[in-house]
Amino acid sequence: MRSTRLPVVAALSVVTLGLTACSGGGNGGEGGDVDGAGKTLDVWIMQGTNPSSDEFFDTVGEAFTEETGAELNVEFVEWGDAHDRFVTSIAGGTTPDVAETGTTWTPEFADAGALAPLGEYVEGAGLGDDLVDGLVEAGTYDGELYGMPWYAGVRSFVYNTEVFDELGLEAPTTWQEIEDAAIAVKDANPDMVAVAVPGDAEFTVYPWVWGGGGDVATLEGETWTSGLDSPGAREGISFWTGLATEHNLSSAGAVTWRETDVLDAFAEGDVAMAVMGSWTPAAIIEKNPDMDGKFSAVPIPGKDGGISPSVLGGSHLSMFETSDDKDLAFAFIEMMTTGEFAQEWASQSGYFPGQSSLLDEAVGSDDPLVAPFAQQFVDGGASVPASPAFGAVQAQKTTSVMMQAILSGQSSVEDASAAAAQELTDTLNGD
Amino acid sequence: MSTQLPTAAPVGAGSSPAPTGRRPLSRRRAALARPWLLLAPSLLVLAVLLLWPLIRVVLFSLQDYGLREIVSGEPNWIGFANFAEILGSAQLWTIVLPNTIGFAVLAVAGTVAFGTAVAVLLASLGTTWRTIVSSAIMAAWAMPAVTGTYVWVWIFDADRGIFNQTLMNMGLMDDPVNWFTGRFSFYAIVLLNVIHHGFPFVAITVLAGLLGVPKEMLEAAEMDGAGGWRRFFQIIVPQLRQVFAVVIILSTIWDFKVFAQVYLMPGGAGSNREVLNLGVWSYVESFGQNRYGFGSAIAVLLTLLLLSITAVYVRTILKEEEL
Repeated sequence: MRSTRLPVVAALSVVTLGLTACSGGGNGGEGGDVDGAGKTLDVWIMQGTNPSSDEFFDTVGEAFTEETGAELNVEFVEWGDAHDRFVTSIAGGTTPDVAETGTTWTPEFADAGALAPLGEYVEGAGLGDDLVDGLVEAGTYDGELYGMPWYAGVRSFVYNTEVFDELGLEAPTTWQEIEDAAIAVKDANPDMVAVAVPGDAEFTVYPWVWGGGGDVATLEGETWTSGLDSPGAREGISFWTGLATEHNLSSAGAVTWRETDVLDAFAEGDVAMAVMGSWTPAAIIEKNPDMDGKFSAVPIPGKDGGISPSVLGGSHLSMFETSDDKDLAFAFIEMMTTGEFAQEWASQSGYFPGQSSLLDEAVGSDDPLVAPFAQQFVDGGASVPASPAFGAVQAQKTTSVMMQAILSGQSSVEDASAAAAQELTDTLNGD
Repeated sequence: MSTQLPTAAPVGAGSSPAPTGRRPLSRRRAALARPWLLLAPSLLVLAVLLLWPLIRVVLFSLQDYGLREIVSGEPNWIGFANFAEILGSAQLWTIVLPNTIGFAVLAVAGTVAFGTAVAVLLASLGTTWRTIVSSAIMAAWAMPAVTGTYVWVWIFDADRGIFNQTLMNMGLMDDPVNWFTGRFSFYAIVLLNVIHHGFPFVAITVLAGLLGVPKEMLEAAEMDGAGGWRRFFQIIVPQLRQVFAVVIILSTIWDFKVFAQVYLMPGGAGSNREVLNLGVWSYVESFGQNRYGFGSAIAVLLTLLLLSITAVYVRTILKEEEL
């Protein structure tokens, strides 16, 4: 810090004024006006999303210092450790100013009182109408926005074009076509997994639940009700698990597969069709360069055409209550989630930006590994229940328990879905 | 510390064997206080590092303590509700405890039996081979539990594992079987993993005991016509009672608390409820859901359970010794 004494004092008084203004009911978030000279903003970014984050954040840091005068201190945290790190830092009062939070964590941390509401800042910056709906919904808790949409991915239907071309198959557009294509693949290649139906991957299940006309859970007043046992949901689950249990088109191992196992097997060329994320094409080619150009994607087919919705999973940027200078923190959030940096991050990582105007550009892409995901994102995006208790549902693995019970033949679709719906309802309502 | 040492040390230095002072009462008091004064620093460290966390765990177990309480720092007492919920859980009695106890019994028996057999083998080897074999088994011991678990998972993988491939090539099986979905096949694999990982400790410890058994006694027994089995069970095993006590108690504690070896197996992290054990169940039900109070209550119960098992075992050993 080479700044002289006077500007520091000036900066501090500006900061104090800013805080007063903010707590007084606010005109927060005036973008470029923030003066953070002599300050350091601590930021946590998750690791495992983007291979070249270091360079990217060096550039961001320089731009941030130029704009606000404050230093940027980015710390990378592994996704796997992140939840524990957040909890221990919340307990110790050592939370960063701003952090990337997974969309399902935002309501959880907001409920605990660790996050600062962002609504006023977003209004002040005039961004309210330019954010992707699904991500705003996921970042809203108790009517207040706590997570600023940053980026998101979506799962679609990925297939091995080499196998499809060989057999003269077309990309499926209905559930029946998925089944027919899978049977054709299995007949020609008995050793191949025609369609991967993993038992421990909840986000590959919900599209069929929604596609069949069911719901994961709906909120009425204060009470959640799970619709996993509704006729529509059961139809979807029956179709998806039936591919494995009735037609034997999946594999014995897939009963306990997670999404990473699906990815590995697909990259090996062992899988003809699977539900996979928009971030996986890069990973497939990285694991096995031979797969380059040998696979493509379509939005997840609806039952009789159209699209089966799939979860928009991604990240928010959240501001912690412990942040000393919330205007400075929001200046960073705004910089990251809108405009140039948001776009660059999205294109580097294979995710979609959380700003609607930027997303429109991605939708216009003609890349065969971007366009179908973009279409799914815009026309077939959905959100899991935005409840702080959804983390508990995930920890209990309610959906995976249901899937594994059905796939291993221990339970019927009716029994397993009834048990799962009951548990989901109870957990979401905190019983 | 620096103030105690100069006063305590000279008194203790020369006078401990024969108290010859003029004031025996205060001497005796000093003698009583001396060990505690000397122990004080390490007791203090232990209290800070072990006792305080232990007390905290007990305090948490009486609260509904979640993320919200962590943020606010406010206690939220609920009495024994956590304990009531644990003991009232049907899953605990029908799945979790049978899995945990059944597995621990088999794993301890297997580890100790196999480890002892290896120790006997080692004892009969010459120095060179003993070094080679013991370094080989040390490698199994040094392998991190996570790495070892993945190796076993690969071996038993349904689609590409060598176990299924071999069975299918031999014509014993037509379609691949996913061994991780069945309760017993799942725990058979965990058992292999845990015994493989745990036997080197037993082998090395028992070997040390074996080498200490007087050769004369064995020779005398042989002269009296005792065969190999009889010599082992009637001379060696009684001699090694303490060694076995240590090995069994430690193995019991370890095998009760098995976590990574179950959690990392396909379906072991909670998606197959039939294979939940105490470690995974408590993680899923408490820390996975930010219910730290509930998790602490489970930890308290587990500690009490292990303490009582250990106490019973130590007592039986000591009693037999007194007879």
